[in-house]
Amino acid sequence: MEDPNSPVQSSEPTPRRPVQNLERKAAMLLVFTALLVAGAVLYLLFARGAFEPKQTLVLLTDNSEGVVVGMDMTFSGFPIGRVRRVELAETGNVRIIIDVPTKDARWLRTTSVFTLVKGLVGGTSIRAFSGMLTDPPLPDGAEMPVLNGDATAEMQRVLSTARDVLENISVLTAKEGDLHATLANVRELTEKLKGPRGLAGAALGSEADAQKLVTAIERANSVLARIDSIAAKTDAQVFGPDGMMKDARASVQQLNQMLGEARASLKKVDAVLTDAQGISSNVRDATVDLGALRADVDANLHKIEGMINELNRKWPFARDTEVKLP
Amino acid sequence: MMTSISWQSVSHAGSAPLRWLAGWWRILFFGASLLVLAGSPSSYGRETRQALLRHIYVDTAPILLWFTTLSALLTLIITRIVVVTAISYGLSRFALEMVIRVLVLELIPLTAALFVALRCTIPNGAALAEMRRSGYFEQLQRAGQDPILTAVLPRALAGIYATVTLAALSCVVALVIAYFGVYGFSVAGITSYTHVFGRVFSPAVSLIFLLKTAFFSLAVSVIPMASGLYDIEGDGSRESAALQGLVRMFAVLLVLEIVSLAGNYY
Repeated sequence: MEDPNSPVQSSEPTPRRPVQNLERKAAMLLVFTALLVAGAVLYLLFARGAFEPKQTLVLLTDNSEGVVVGMDMTFSGFPIGRVRRVELAETGNVRIIIDVPTKDARWLRTTSVFTLVKGLVGGTSIRAFSGMLTDPPLPDGAEMPVLNGDATAEMQRVLSTARDVLENISVLTAKEGDLHATLANVRELTEKLKGPRGLAGAALGSEADAQKLVTAIERANSVLARIDSIAAKTDAQVFGPDGMMKDARASVQQLNQMLGEARASLKKVDAVLTDAQGISSNVRDATVDLGALRADVDANLHKIEGMINELNRKWPFARDTEVKLP
Repeated sequence: MMTSISWQSVSHAGSAPLRWLAGWWRILFFGASLLVLAGSPSSYGRETRQALLRHIYVDTAPILLWFTTLSALLTLIITRIVVVTAISYGLSRFALEMVIRVLVLELIPLTAALFVALRCTIPNGAALAEMRRSGYFEQLQRAGQDPILTAVLPRALAGIYATVTLAALSCVVALVIAYFGVYGFSVAGITSYTHVFGRVFSPAVSLIFLLKTAFFSLAVSVIPMASGLYDIEGDGSRESAALQGLVRMFAVLLVLEIVSLAGNYY
């Protein structure tokens, strides 16, 4: 109905010629658009997991910081679940409700461990670990505790420690610090090491002491040379063909011979001692008889003494036996 | 003389905000009227159906191939930039999600809307202004036809349809190109790619995406038509109508984009 001669024709995106089979082409275009939109919606539903059966897992934690609806729960790096809702329980704990597709639920066992890790980059992640895959599978609606691991929680302590370390380093590297003084000493030491006396001069401090050390070493060298010549002479005297060792060997042989002779002499002495033992036993018997004999001799002697005493009394020129007091 | 000119200037300056508000109100009212007419089966008479089919085909089909090629090229370049940058920073696991978010959620619908506006709806609005100026609408009314139903509604609906079709097609093309850009020519990554896609398009994000596309299509269709149909501001010339439509449409697209970003990320 539009006027083909109007200026509209030059401004609208309208072809100059009438379109052949316009209705059919427009219908095909509409069908194409409908298929495109329907395909996109179906793909979105498929990607959202609308066509696969799911089971629910409830994770209990005391802090849901970083947990958002739609985030993944991974097992060995593979996403096997998706957070559907995060809610606060009556007890004050946080309930993280996760949809796990039934085909992926076989990785979750009653002994599985769940962690909530807050990374430095990439936000929070929920991970599942199943050590024993032979344990009973996790039932639908199971409530499991989740362990918290916060990489940023340590940051404060790490920063504090790092600050202390930096302060220590700052003190060490200060102009009047110990490190500076040590480096100055090291520089002085290396300059001494480069000096004519080298390490000895650096160790002893003065040139004179270093000279003494050198002299002492030279004297020690001469002493060692003399000791070496003495040792050579000693070797010749001791171990040489006319050395002491040969005489010593002969002496030892003679000593062995003498010892053999001494052993024979001792055997003879042993026999003598046996005889002496017999003699001594005879003497012991004789000594018993000597007791009686001695008693007789004593009796006779007493008698003789008595008789002499009697004679003395009766004898006229007997000695004066009186005792005269002063 | 001087006094009267000064009073006119003051009057003009003082009424500017009111005329600005009135212009927006007229656009809103026009858009609502078009939606009501589009939802009413009695609007689709034989003349309207013919015009609608012609505009749907003429406004969409010629630009479909070009825009698909353009969006594929854009997707390829941006995917490459994002992937290489992410790998260089050791953040390659976030590259795919970023590509989907940047391209499919944000850039492609906006590009489709702008492309349809520049190629179809702004020239259509200018054509309506020309028809109105040349008295073509009066000719239609004398012939017993409603110019809104036979001239305006088909153009507006064709603009909406073109925007939705181009956005859908370019999103699909962008998804395919992004997959090949990230995983290469292999089908090994389809599962993880689908998973990432599903994670990005949460129900809220999907709803915002659909609303954004719908409002983009409405904005690029209704505002140029309204600017061409009414003397909202200016002297009613064809260039002025096109310029007004362009400025107002860009402003609305900007606001919609900001609102969608706020809805997605806050």
